[in-house]
Amino acid sequence: MYNLFIFIKKYNAVILFVLLEVLCVIMVVHNLPYHNRKMASVSNSITGGFYKTTSNWNDYLHLKSENEMLAEHNAMLRSRLGYEYYENDSVIVDEMFSFIPAHVINNNTSDRNNYIIIDKGRVDGLEPDMGVICDNGVVGKVVNVSTHYASVMSMLNSYSIISCRFADNQYVANVVWDSKDYRFGLVKDIPSHLIINKGDTLVTSGFSNSFPADVMVGTIEDAEDTENSQFNTAKLRFSTNFSTLRFVYVVKNNYRAEIDSLCITR
Amino acid sequence: MYNTLIRNILRFIGLVLLQIAVFDNLRFGSFVHPCVYVIFIFLMPFETPAWKLMINGFLIGFAVDVFNGTPGLNAAASVLLAYVRPFIISITTRKSDIQDKNEPSIAEMGLQWFVLYSFLLLVIHNLFLFWLEAFSIKLFGVVLLEVLLSVPISLIIIILLLYLLNPVKNKSNY
Repeated sequence: MYNLFIFIKKYNAVILFVLLEVLCVIMVVHNLPYHNRKMASVSNSITGGFYKTTSNWNDYLHLKSENEMLAEHNAMLRSRLGYEYYENDSVIVDEMFSFIPAHVINNNTSDRNNYIIIDKGRVDGLEPDMGVICDNGVVGKVVNVSTHYASVMSMLNSYSIISCRFADNQYVANVVWDSKDYRFGLVKDIPSHLIINKGDTLVTSGFSNSFPADVMVGTIEDAEDTENSQFNTAKLRFSTNFSTLRFVYVVKNNYRAEIDSLCITR
Repeated sequence: MYNTLIRNILRFIGLVLLQIAVFDNLRFGSFVHPCVYVIFIFLMPFETPAWKLMINGFLIGFAVDVFNGTPGLNAAASVLLAYVRPFIISITTRKSDIQDKNEPSIAEMGLQWFVLYSFLLLVIHNLFLFWLEAFSIKLFGVVLLEVLLSVPISLIIIILLLYLLNPVKNKSNY
């Protein structure tokens, strides 16, 4: 027993070091998979409130460009008024999807797994797995919801897969991110007989319940031809500029429960 | 005694705020992640016991993690940083040099020594941080590139920040 005390006294630094490192690594590993990710720490009221404050300061700096963008978007919406109508001030309803506008209060593009925090939460009707889009295209999916905030896994995340199709020939492919540049993603699972050109447009397929069909995802930047495999990969330029993201819409599928009840494997 | 405690608490809060509100939002490209909260561990007094260094490293790393949504990541790296600090000090100085010195600051130890000291610690810290973030051997090239680009920029920011916060008085005039 005495020897044990001597041992602990002599190596207390090493023991503490190992204990703390093991604790840290357990925390890291525990938070690795997307489904286990507890973003509660980021979307809780203290950190959420803090990011809301800093975001308020930032919003002042961007008011002018934000205004211009909103005016442009208003004009675009007004031109589509023929088949969409406004239910009230904040929610635009079409038959299957409603769009809940939200502000980005924290955003990251430089990590390997990037998350966005928005200022709408459970009280605004948000639920995990809802899609998030902006004026220019797809942003990501809601992962975690707290009372007033929600965390969104952006497309700039190694766990993100978005189902898309080519706008001109309807072939389906998947868009992922290779953790390198926030402007570019990868289109995977393109059938190898398909000839792809630079500038081809990819839109959402509408198969995922999270996004309406035909929301812009990006354009092909570079098509690499790998002859020996069944599927090709291509470089994609996102239509969304993730580094200047300030205003997004959360997509609510009004028939989600009904569609889900038809899926057997759930 | 109380002075040091209050100064350390202010330093802690200030550095965490600076890291999460300013430097985590600066983008010098996707490979550069400037780290400034490590100053807290750099500047702890020479005679601080190892366990105190590591507990402090854990706390400040974890504080940054909570805001970044990456629990354990920065904490792990700064615990390692705190653990190796005594070794780095002992290989870059002689015992007699630091006997009458209080803390490893630029004012007391000189700029040249401080640059070497913080460079070595930053390399270890960033290497571990980025490797743990990538969590695979395959991405080792990317991790090395990140370290190579981040360390010099962090170092420059840290030195400028330290001069800005406590300017070294020019003794030769008096």
